[in-house]
Amino acid sequence: MRTAATAPTSRRDGRSLDPRAKLYLLLLANLMLFFHVGLATQATMIALFLAPMLVAGRVRMAARFAVLYAAMTALGLLDPDALGVPQLHVVSALAVGASMMLPCFATGAYAFTTTSASAFVCAMRRMRVPEAVVVPCVVIIRFFPTILEDYRRIREAMALRGIATGAFAWVRHPARSLEYVVVPLLMNATNVAQDLSVAALTKGLGRDGVHTSRTTIRMRAADWLAMAACTLPLALDAAGVI
Amino acid sequence: MTSQPSPVSTVETTTNRLSTADLITVGVFAALYFVMVCVATLVSTLFTGGFGSIFLPAIAALISGPVFMLLAARLGKFGGITVMGLVIGLFLFVSGHFALSFVASLVFPLAADLIARAGRYRGRTSLLVSYVVFSYGLTGPILPLWFMKDAYVASLEARGKDAAYIEGVFAHINAGTFVVSMAAILVCALLGGWFGQRLMRKHFAKAGIA
Repeated sequence: MRTAATAPTSRRDGRSLDPRAKLYLLLLANLMLFFHVGLATQATMIALFLAPMLVAGRVRMAARFAVLYAAMTALGLLDPDALGVPQLHVVSALAVGASMMLPCFATGAYAFTTTSASAFVCAMRRMRVPEAVVVPCVVIIRFFPTILEDYRRIREAMALRGIATGAFAWVRHPARSLEYVVVPLLMNATNVAQDLSVAALTKGLGRDGVHTSRTTIRMRAADWLAMAACTLPLALDAAGVI
Repeated sequence: MTSQPSPVSTVETTTNRLSTADLITVGVFAALYFVMVCVATLVSTLFTGGFGSIFLPAIAALISGPVFMLLAARLGKFGGITVMGLVIGLFLFVSGHFALSFVASLVFPLAADLIARAGRYRGRTSLLVSYVVFSYGLTGPILPLWFMKDAYVASLEARGKDAAYIEGVFAHINAGTFVVSMAAILVCALLGGWFGQRLMRKHFAKAGIA
């Protein structure tokens, strides 16, 4: 029997799609914007996009997107003139727009929350993305938490000196507050860049040739199935069948 | 916080290609820029409600001048600005933004990089112009507004409204907001770039970091 500590991670890795399949779903969601798909197709696609989320155990996220989509579709179907309030056109237009963007956000949220950094990097290398793009991406993922930590420290230091404290400091002195926060962040960033360079070069990031990876990614039957299932409604819609 | 010239960066100032150390520097600044973009998204959504990201590029341009200026000064070679824009475009795409934003975040930073190179990454005016051009690279996320317009027009037509009526609905929503948001980017980028250069002179030049 597995321990409780290891179970969630292994389960999540096992049940989420291959990063390349996720990328493909993202592309499909974007293509939906170009083709101006009908309402039935849109609803089908949303359901198909939310299914992997459920499989990955993100039930609450999937439910939130489903409710949001239902609400936006309902708002978009309102007829402002029948209600006698022409101003509602703004609301209606925004709702239609939001429900169009929703597939992109849903697939994006899925890709972002279920992909580990190493799987992402591994996928990029497998797709032969140049190192000039891979290396900065690795650094961003690695450096992001540091920035948040730095920001907290800077705010603490500012509070200690009584500078720009309180919620309204940003509103009263925006430029000065920005300066007080950005300058230490940038100072630290230049130092971190040097430290990271030394560390990464020691680990052999600068070497030519193929790099090996501890994380392995593999396209499985479920990945191909998900890709095919999501392509079908869009292809049928584009061909004019639905 | 002492500014010792690192052995890594002194070696490859002789070459013009981006080394791994350069790419790491770009990554660090791109992460900071991405944070700025996230902050801008938040602020823009707070101010404009449902329109969400319409003023996103302008607000991002206003606050990320120092990041851009310090990157240009630290790196001082061709490719850094382009890679930063490209990587940000990639992250925007993966986090669910519109795929066309990728094109904008490749073309504008590339142009910005060329402009900055014309001033050898030192000229104050060329850097400012370069920053303004770079800021337009973020217009990608607001491009769907036009697709939304098409979609809404289609849905109105499906409900039997005539063309003149549809024109009337959009007359004051679209053209105006487009011009305002583009002009806002210009003004904010000029302000943000100037602010960034001022900070550079005030803090980083003295510390020997830039």
